[in-house]
Amino acid sequence: MSSLALMRLLESAPLRYDKGMRLLTLGAIDQVRTALAAAIDVDGGRVLEIGCGTGALTEKLIARGARVTALDQNPEMLEQVRARLAGAARDALVLVERTAAEIDSFAEQSFEAVAASLSLSEMSRGERSFVLRQAFRVLRAGGVIALADEVVPRTGAARLWHRMLRAPVAALTWAMVGSVSSPIPDLAAETAAAGFRLRSERRWLCETLAMVVGERPS
Amino acid sequence: MIPRAVSDFVRDALQTGFRLVPWPTEPGLRALGNPGPLSPVLVTGNFDLTVRRVMRAMRGVDAWLVVAPSSGINVWCAASGGHLSTHQVITALKTSGVSQRVRHRRAILPQLAATGVIAREVERRAHWQVKFGPVYARDIPRYLAQHEKKSEDMRRVRFGLPERLEMAASWATPMALVAAIPSLLLRPAWTPALVVLVGVIALAVFTIYDRVAARRRRYLIAAAPLTAVAATALAGGGTAALITAALASAAAAAVLTYDYSGSTPIEGGSHFREARWHIKLDFDRCKGVYFCWQVCPEACFDQRPDIGKVEISRSDSCIRCGACVVQCPTDALYFEDGGGRRIEPETIRRFKLNLLGRRSVRVGYGQGAPASTDSG
Repeated sequence: MSSLALMRLLESAPLRYDKGMRLLTLGAIDQVRTALAAAIDVDGGRVLEIGCGTGALTEKLIARGARVTALDQNPEMLEQVRARLAGAARDALVLVERTAAEIDSFAEQSFEAVAASLSLSEMSRGERSFVLRQAFRVLRAGGVIALADEVVPRTGAARLWHRMLRAPVAALTWAMVGSVSSPIPDLAAETAAAGFRLRSERRWLCETLAMVVGERPS
Repeated sequence: MIPRAVSDFVRDALQTGFRLVPWPTEPGLRALGNPGPLSPVLVTGNFDLTVRRVMRAMRGVDAWLVVAPSSGINVWCAASGGHLSTHQVITALKTSGVSQRVRHRRAILPQLAATGVIAREVERRAHWQVKFGPVYARDIPRYLAQHEKKSEDMRRVRFGLPERLEMAASWATPMALVAAIPSLLLRPAWTPALVVLVGVIALAVFTIYDRVAARRRRYLIAAAPLTAVAATALAGGGTAALITAALASAAAAAVLTYDYSGSTPIEGGSHFREARWHIKLDFDRCKGVYFCWQVCPEACFDQRPDIGKVEISRSDSCIRCGACVVQCPTDALYFEDGGGRRIEPETIRRFKLNLLGRRSVRVGYGQGAPASTDSG
């Protein structure tokens, strides 16, 4: 949906982020995150979350028994996560204030799963490709990768319509925060290019929100 | 096929005229000339105009250029606004693949990135040594030729005729557009005159900008309508003419005396809170490493090797860019506000300027966070 262009604006005000994202996606973001957490489902296993934001997905992962290492470069976002998950078990959550590219500092095959929701669209294509290849490296064989993000619709007409609707929203967001995220052209293809075997792809919101699930082949 | 020179000229013109909006180019690695594993590594932001200028300046020199994601904004603005910070430089150095191309780990950044990028954080987290090179891309070949030594002129920000013309163009173009659209609809004949007028005003603004002292500005804004009204009354103008004269002259005075501090390296009558900040040195903490002297674009500092300290010799020249405070490894430099309160270096490092010139954009750089978690 075109309104996803507003994402960067919400990020500048973490307190309003969750409410705003729910509004922008007409509630779909909650379904997407529930689906992501269900796709991962590694009871007691270690999960690396890239760009945890306010911790909405982190919370769902921990509720399903995962031990999460959550990465985010924004200290204000991490404070939100800390407050939100104050009651979580001590070994269930490790917060790391780092940019996604620093995923290369984690040991090889040290996670059962890797998750990211709405963070890949903020990266350039080169950065995304690096992060996905590194995600492959830190996953153990058979481990799951589950990604959700704003994507470009598949059909030409929908694509044109999406671009037209999105442009003014993007301009407004840029005017207010000085930067805009851009939808990913083909998330499934980029995931496969990093070496993952694709398991499934689902779309929401007129095909503009996608979830891609893959695994590192054994 | 459009010739390269023509498309370059068109892009230069568009990006100069509409400099106030971002012009992103794809971040990543560019080979300049025919670089090898020992060639220098330059880093810059992904404002298309900047990247093309660096490439033009480097013609005939072999080097690697790492373009960092600065949201399509020029280096100084991006560094001051949190769009070109430690994060973006680490991201670019790690993801561009430059590490596989060179055998050394020394990156040269534009000096003006020093307000946003914390050199020692990049070293700690990405294991790349950061050096702040010249302010202007055109000086890079000379800088490299003299073994990465910056001469005095390479450290200074200039605001001469070319820079003033560039800034005038960046304001005049969108303003002329705003004036031209309603005029084309209502009074098409007036349009050329209006566009010329906007251009003349922009030129006037950027020529007199630093010649009208802060205090005099306020009087000018008050005096202009009074004078205009008096003159109109003396000439026998009616009520409508009096009102028009008052409004037009007030508007002109406001435009001429507006604070363009984001577009100039001069702070005259700045209305921003930080205009009253002063740069201070904690003498005991200073260890004489002179990073401040290296990155100050206004040459406020002098080295005092005799006592192993730096001296703030020209604090009046300070434009509060914060580069010295951000880079000082011993936190010896800080700002003091008008009321004598100390603004800690951490505040300057963590909070960057938003589009309204307020320090509210928070940029983290991972102090105290582990580089990686234990895998047990």
